[in-house]
Amino acid sequence: MGTLRIIATSGLIRGLIGQAIGAALGFGFVTLIRLGMGLESNPEPGAVFGALTSVIGFLAGAGVLTDWSKWALGKETPLRHGPQPGKPEWARYLHVDYNHKVIGIQYAVTSVLVLLVGGIFAITFRIELSLPGMQFLTYEQYNTLFSGHGIVMIASILLGVGAMVNYLVPLMIGASDMAFPRLNAFSYWVSVPAAVLILTGMAIGGWDTGWVAYPPLSLIAPLGVQLFVLGFFVNGFSSIAGSINLLITVATMRAKGMSLFKMPIFVWAAVAAALIQATATQTVGMALLMVVTQRVIGLNFFDPATGGDPVLYQHLFWFYSHPVVYVFVLPGLGVISELLPVFSRKPLFGYRWIALSSLGIALVGFLVWAHHMFVAGVDNTLRVFFMYATMFVAVPTGVKFFSWVATMWEGKLSFETPMLFVLGAISVFLIGGVTGPILGNIPTDMHLHDSYWVVGHFHATMFGGFVFPFFAALYYWYPKFSGRMYKESLGKLHFWLMTPGFWLMSLGQMQIGLLGMRRRVADYDPSLGYDTTHVVITVAGLIIGWSVLIMAYNLISSARSQPLAGNNPWNSRSPEWQISSPPPEFNYDVPFEVVGEPYDYGLAGSVYIRMDPSSSGE
Amino acid sequence: MSAVTNAHDHQEAHNGHELPYSAQLRNNRMALWLFCFSEIFMFGALLSARFVLWGNARPELSQVVGLITTTVLLLSSFFMNRAESAIAHDDRKTFLSGLLMTAFLGLLFFIGVVVLEWNIFGLKLELFGVEWFGHLKPTDGVLGGVFFAMTGLHAIHVFSGIVLILIVWNNGRRGHFSAEKHWGIEATAIYWHYVDIVWVFFYPALYLIGKVG
Amino acid sequence: MSDKKAAAYRLGIVTLVVLAVLTALEYWVSVGLNGSPVFLLIIALIKAGVIVQNFMHIARLWREESH
Repeated sequence: MGTLRIIATSGLIRGLIGQAIGAALGFGFVTLIRLGMGLESNPEPGAVFGALTSVIGFLAGAGVLTDWSKWALGKETPLRHGPQPGKPEWARYLHVDYNHKVIGIQYAVTSVLVLLVGGIFAITFRIELSLPGMQFLTYEQYNTLFSGHGIVMIASILLGVGAMVNYLVPLMIGASDMAFPRLNAFSYWVSVPAAVLILTGMAIGGWDTGWVAYPPLSLIAPLGVQLFVLGFFVNGFSSIAGSINLLITVATMRAKGMSLFKMPIFVWAAVAAALIQATATQTVGMALLMVVTQRVIGLNFFDPATGGDPVLYQHLFWFYSHPVVYVFVLPGLGVISELLPVFSRKPLFGYRWIALSSLGIALVGFLVWAHHMFVAGVDNTLRVFFMYATMFVAVPTGVKFFSWVATMWEGKLSFETPMLFVLGAISVFLIGGVTGPILGNIPTDMHLHDSYWVVGHFHATMFGGFVFPFFAALYYWYPKFSGRMYKESLGKLHFWLMTPGFWLMSLGQMQIGLLGMRRRVADYDPSLGYDTTHVVITVAGLIIGWSVLIMAYNLISSARSQPLAGNNPWNSRSPEWQISSPPPEFNYDVPFEVVGEPYDYGLAGSVYIRMDPSSSGE
Repeated sequence: MSAVTNAHDHQEAHNGHELPYSAQLRNNRMALWLFCFSEIFMFGALLSARFVLWGNARPELSQVVGLITTTVLLLSSFFMNRAESAIAHDDRKTFLSGLLMTAFLGLLFFIGVVVLEWNIFGLKLELFGVEWFGHLKPTDGVLGGVFFAMTGLHAIHVFSGIVLILIVWNNGRRGHFSAEKHWGIEATAIYWHYVDIVWVFFYPALYLIGKVG
Repeated sequence: MSDKKAAAYRLGIVTLVVLAVLTALEYWVSVGLNGSPVFLLIIALIKAGVIVQNFMHIARLWREESH
C-alpha cells in the first residue's frame, strides 16, 4: 500500500472526516428544527449541538467506539495487537491502537505538534506587542491569539503528561499494559476532536476572554468562545478516563515484590497527578457547562440582575484550574527525581519524603484556589485562609528541592542533554517558585494581579515544571522508544539556546510586570518606558521557538541515521532499561521480581529487580 | 475482556498477556467505583451552586409530583437490585423481568421530570387538588436556571442508564450472562443505583429545603 | 442455593422498606420541621449509605469474591 493511501485510510483521517460529517449533521439538525419552529436565525445552538455530534463523529470514524459497540450487541472482541494486516509498523501511530507504548508516542507527537501551534500563536502576538500601537493585528485577532495560546498550551501540556505517564508507568511497574487498553486509546483519541473544536473556535469568530472564560464577558463573547468551551469540556473526558485507568493500573498490576515504596519515583508523581485529574476536572466541566447553557438556553447562574453570581463561576473554575497546574508539574518533577540519581550515580535522597511530597502537593493544591480571586471581592476571612494555605504549598515543594540538592551532593555528575534539561528545569522552576509568594500575599497581589509579573511567574513554573522536564524525558527515553541514540551535539545546542533565552524572557516579563504592564492587552503606553524589554521578550521567545525546532529535527532524523542504542545506554536500574530498545510488544516476556531498593546507585552488589523466571507457575 | 460473557462458554480465549477473569473483574469494579467517586465532584459542583445561589429560597414546585417521582426511582432501584440478585442465583426469569421493570420505572421517572415538572408540552391539569404540570421556566432567573440544570444533568444520566439497561436486557435474553460471570449486570446496577443516590441528595435540595420564594 | 437467593431477595425488600420509611420521614421533616437542612442531610446520608451497602455491594471492593 502506498504511503499516501495508508495515511488517507488511517484512523486519524477517518476520524477527521467523521468529525466534519458529525458537525454538519448536528448543526443541520438543530438549525432545521429552529427554522421549522420559526425561531430567529442564530448559528449558536446549531454550533453547540454540532460540536458535540462532531466529537461522536470523530470517535466513530476513527474506530474508537467499534469494540464497545460490538459489546453492546453481544459480540466478543479480542484485544488486537500489532499493526493492521498489510500495513507497516509506523501506520499504527495513525490508527486506534491498544498498546500503551504506541498510545504514549501518539500523545508525545501530538503534544509537540500542539506546542508548536501554540508557539506560533505566541510569536505572532508577541511580534505585535513588541512595539506600541497596533502594527498588523486587530484587537479581536490579538485577543483570540492570546486566548488560543493559553488553552492550546494547556492542551499540549496535558498531552505531554499523558505521553509520559502512559508510556512509562506500565514499563516501570512491570505490567504488560494499562488496566484498560481500549479506554486508554479513547483517552488519547478524544483529545484530537477537542483540539479541533478549539482551533475552529479561533477561526469562526474568535473570543476575547482568555482561557478562563469569566462571565459576564464570556456570556457576550463571540461564537468562538462556545467552541473553545466545548473543546475544553470534551478534553476533560480524556483526563478523567486516563487518570482512572492509571490509578487502577498502579493499584493492581505491580510486579511481585513491588510495594508502594519500591516503585520508581515517577509512578508516585503520576498517581498524585491522576488523583487530581480524576476529581477536580469534573468541577470545571460543570462550570463550563453552565456558561454553555446560560448562553444557549438562558439558564441563569451568573447574571446578578436575576439572582446570579459571576464570582460563583470563578470558584468553580479555579477549584479545578489551580490543582491542574500541579497535574502539569508533578510528572515533570517526578522526571527530575527519576533522572538525578542516574546522572549523579547516587541514591535518590529521601525517596519516601519525595514520594509523599507529591501527594502533599496534590492535597494542599486543593486548598488554595481563591488566591486567583484576591481582587474579585471575596470575603476577607476567606482570603486570609487562602493566603496562608498558598504559602504552605511551598513546604512539600521545598522537600523536593532539598532532596534533589542532596542527591547531587558529592555525586559523580555527568552532563548529557537529559541532565542539562533537568538542571535547567530546576533553575527555571526556582525562578517560578520564588516569584509565587509575592502573588500569594494579598497586599502585594493587589498590585501585581493581572500584570505581566503573573505571566512571568506561570511561564517559569510551567517551563520549569513541565517543558524542561518533558524535553529531558524525550531525550532520556528516546533511545528506549526509538532504539537509537539522538544526536548529543544538537541536544546541547537546543539546551544552550533555550535556557538563557528562557531566563531572559522570564526576567523581562517580571520586570515590566513590576512597572505596571498589564496582561491580556493588545497595546500599551509607550511613555511607560518598557518598549525595549518588550522587544527583548519577543526575541527571546523566537530563540526558544527555534531551539524547539532543533529538537524536533534531532528526534526525527536520529531515528534513521544514528547508531543503535542498546538496552541500557544510561546504566539505569529502572526496569524498562533491562529489556530491549524498543521494548517487545508486551514488555516483559517473563515477569520480574523486585528484590531490592530502586535507587541504590553506587552501592556495590545491590540489585533492584531480578529478571530470572520465578519458580512459581502462573 | 469484553463486558459481555456468554453464559454457555466455559473456555476463555486466553492470550498469555490478558488478565484472568477474576483480576479483570476486580479492576473493572474498582474503576467503576472510582468513576462514581469522580462524578461526586460534578454533581457536587451543581449542588453547591444551588446553595450559593438560592440560599434559603426554593422554587414553587408540586410536592406531590416530587414525592411520586422520588418513589418511582427508589422502586426502580429495588427492581434493579432484584434483577442483579436473580442473575447471581441463576433465576433468569426474574433477572429479565426485573431489568424491564427497572427500565419501565426509570422511563416513568424521566417522563415525570420532563413532561410533568418541565412541562415541555405546556399542559395544564388540576386533579385532586394537585397541579400536575409545572410552571417553572428555564429562564426564570436563578431558581429556574439551577432547577433545570440539576434535573437536566440527572435526567441525562437516567436516560443513559435506561439505554444501558435495555442493552444488557437484550443481551441477557439472548443467553449472555451467567451466575458466575455477569459483570455487565453488576456494572449497570452500580450505575443505576448511583443515579438513584444523586437524586437522594437532589430531591431534598430542590423540593424540601428552604422556603418558597 | 435457593436460601441464598431468598435471602438476597429479602434483603432487597427490607432495603426498599427502609428507604420508603426514610422518604416519608423526609417529607415530615420538610412539612413539620420547616425543612431543616441538617436533618434532611442526615436522612439523605443514611439513604445513600443503605443503597451503597445493600444495593451496590461496596463491600465487594475489598472482599475477595469472584463474582
